[in-house]
Amino acid sequence: MLEKTISRRTLLKGMTVSAGVFALAACAAPVAPSAAPAGGAAAPAQTPVTVLLWSSFTGKNGETETELVKRFNESQSDVVIDYQFQGNYEETAQKVTAALQAGTAPDVSLLSDVWWFKFYLNRALLPLDDLLNAQGVDVNDYQDSLINEGVRKGVHYWIPFARSTPLFYYNKEKWAAAGLPDRGPETWDEFMEWAPNLAEMEGEEMKTAAFSHPDGASYIAWLFQPVTWQWGGKYSDPDFTMHMTDELTVAAGQFYKDTVHTYKWARPSKDVQADFIGGLTAAAMMSTGSMGGIKANATFEFGTAFLPKKDHFGCCTGGAGLAILSRTPAEKQSAAMQYIAYASSPESTAFWSQNTGYMPVRKSALELPDMKAYFDAFPQFKTAVDQLPLTQPQDSARVFVPNGDQIIGKGLERITVQAEEVATVFAEVQATLESEAQPVVEALRAVEG
Amino acid sequence: MSTGALQSKRVSPAERREWWLFLLLVGPNILLFAIFTYWPLLYNGYLSFVRWDMLAPVKMWVGLDNYRFLFSQPEFQLILFNTFYFTIASVLLTIVLGLLMALLLNQSLRGRNAVRSIVFSPVMLSGAAIGIVWIYIFDPRYGLIDALLGFIGLNSPNWLLDGAWAMPAVIIVHVWKTIGYAVVIYLAGLQAIPRELYEAVVVDGGGAWSRFRAVTLPGLSPVVFFLVLTTVLTSFQSFDIIKVMTNGGPVNATTTLVFYLYEEGFVAFNAGRAGVASVLLFGLMFAFTLVQMRYEDRSVHYA
Repeated sequence: MLEKTISRRTLLKGMTVSAGVFALAACAAPVAPSAAPAGGAAAPAQTPVTVLLWSSFTGKNGETETELVKRFNESQSDVVIDYQFQGNYEETAQKVTAALQAGTAPDVSLLSDVWWFKFYLNRALLPLDDLLNAQGVDVNDYQDSLINEGVRKGVHYWIPFARSTPLFYYNKEKWAAAGLPDRGPETWDEFMEWAPNLAEMEGEEMKTAAFSHPDGASYIAWLFQPVTWQWGGKYSDPDFTMHMTDELTVAAGQFYKDTVHTYKWARPSKDVQADFIGGLTAAAMMSTGSMGGIKANATFEFGTAFLPKKDHFGCCTGGAGLAILSRTPAEKQSAAMQYIAYASSPESTAFWSQNTGYMPVRKSALELPDMKAYFDAFPQFKTAVDQLPLTQPQDSARVFVPNGDQIIGKGLERITVQAEEVATVFAEVQATLESEAQPVVEALRAVEG
Repeated sequence: MSTGALQSKRVSPAERREWWLFLLLVGPNILLFAIFTYWPLLYNGYLSFVRWDMLAPVKMWVGLDNYRFLFSQPEFQLILFNTFYFTIASVLLTIVLGLLMALLLNQSLRGRNAVRSIVFSPVMLSGAAIGIVWIYIFDPRYGLIDALLGFIGLNSPNWLLDGAWAMPAVIIVHVWKTIGYAVVIYLAGLQAIPRELYEAVVVDGGGAWSRFRAVTLPGLSPVVFFLVLTTVLTSFQSFDIIKVMTNGGPVNATTTLVFYLYEEGFVAFNAGRAGVASVLLFGLMFAFTLVQMRYEDRSVHYA
């Protein structure tokens, strides 16, 4: 009877199902890193080395990076870059984390300012100095504030690629309508005088704001970082001593709160860039990386300027760089560096920055004829580049404390959106930052001694 | 056959074959559950007792520290409140409005099929895409809702940037997205109610309200039970709309347990705290399902 029930067909079906289950199981199980079929001793010398690159750009920026990879692959025959898009900075970092667990990590990954350090702390990044030397890369030709951010104990781990800074953007039409000179404000005090003329009221409702603040998810903690410095305060020291409750940091926070709740010419916004393009805010601090989108979509003339001063000038860096994962097999390491050197070369960074608005990361790129021609055609971009030598790396509280960006960002939302007491909020933020920094301080001691 | 097995100690070949067949049929399912459900569940329980950033080679055992941390957080009460606020409001609105819409669409009106399709269509759309569109609809300066409120002389609240309005906003979008599913299930339930019961009420002199109360509602009780169960479970786990529209904000106004789990796990890379949040979420849903199952026996009428 049973012999009849299990016909060959049912048996085959059953086996197919089981096989499917095992295939699924294989997805979850750690998979060995794809062994290099090429470049090994047995392989013929002609076969190129394949390097896996993970990155985070979409739209125009993604097209530009794809083009960069294509040009690299066509420029030589030793290395083939396998370029894979992984989502935004956060998603890329999440996937690299998961892939390291599974042993399927890429050879090269784009990592943002707040992420590379976490991988460094876990010894997941390769020291790059030998490889840089072997490729003949002149480290001194990189913009100092950018390259030095990726250095720990005198060793390079993180090479600048898509780096940006905050920049002051203004709508020239609104400026002209308010009778203001065609330039950004020198100081916040000057902007305080201008702002009431820029804000347009419609009854009780503010139709156009003079200035807008992003929310935590749109990195308000990054844009507020330079403001703390302008006031003479800071988030923290490099050794993770927190300074959120310092008088001057609180004063900077009080200014942000007052712009919305006392002076009432600024407002929090879900999408500052969309507001600026739509004429709903006359000015804003935004990333230089937003310039491409604004240029393409704004129907009015816009100007850019250095960030306004208070007692000091202050501007930070941001964006993402490239790193090699330490599990990358030896035979792929130099191939990986070959791509990094190419992608951040003066010619490539000129091409990349002109198409995206990210900063040219090489000093000598500024002297290239097509870069000079671009500056003449698009002076708004030159302003950003001129500001670059004045920038400094961000405080450890935002970039090195796990989730530091969001901890500070939520604190700033409580001030700008909910009008809470600045000193109280910053004291709570400081306490959270201190307890969250503790594991990092311990890990750092283990890694750096 | 079983008597045969008792008589001889040796397992007959036929019985062995049956045993193999049983394994062949049940094995794949058990394996799937073990790998993708039970193992993660147990592993997650373990993770809730360690401190781990998902990268370090060592997971440090910290006992109940993660639990103590979570319960001592001032935001934690707010997060629990938000979770229940979102779930209860979403479920009530979906169940009640869904029933009203289904009753309406059960009438023989012109264009009924077209409307049914339209009502159902948001169910099939991606939550992320819907979220983006609704951000524009909610915009207090140029959004559709602001324009509609303008007709009656009202100003739109600043939905997504106001701690009091952000939660209603995401609930509206969540209900709008899921209600079509409830309507379809209700409609199927309405078709299944025997016509004779309605006729009996009419014969007894009952009106529309009596028909609804005495026939429709009891007849739909298994459907309501099923819908409450499924919408509670999906609301507890709802993530995409919140992520896209408010990112849990402003501050923590729309941070639910699931969103907190995501933030701790995949933004802060705190496997331990995320583990605690998911243990808690699992416990809540498990308890809810148990209560539901007991309640079902007493008050659900199957036709």
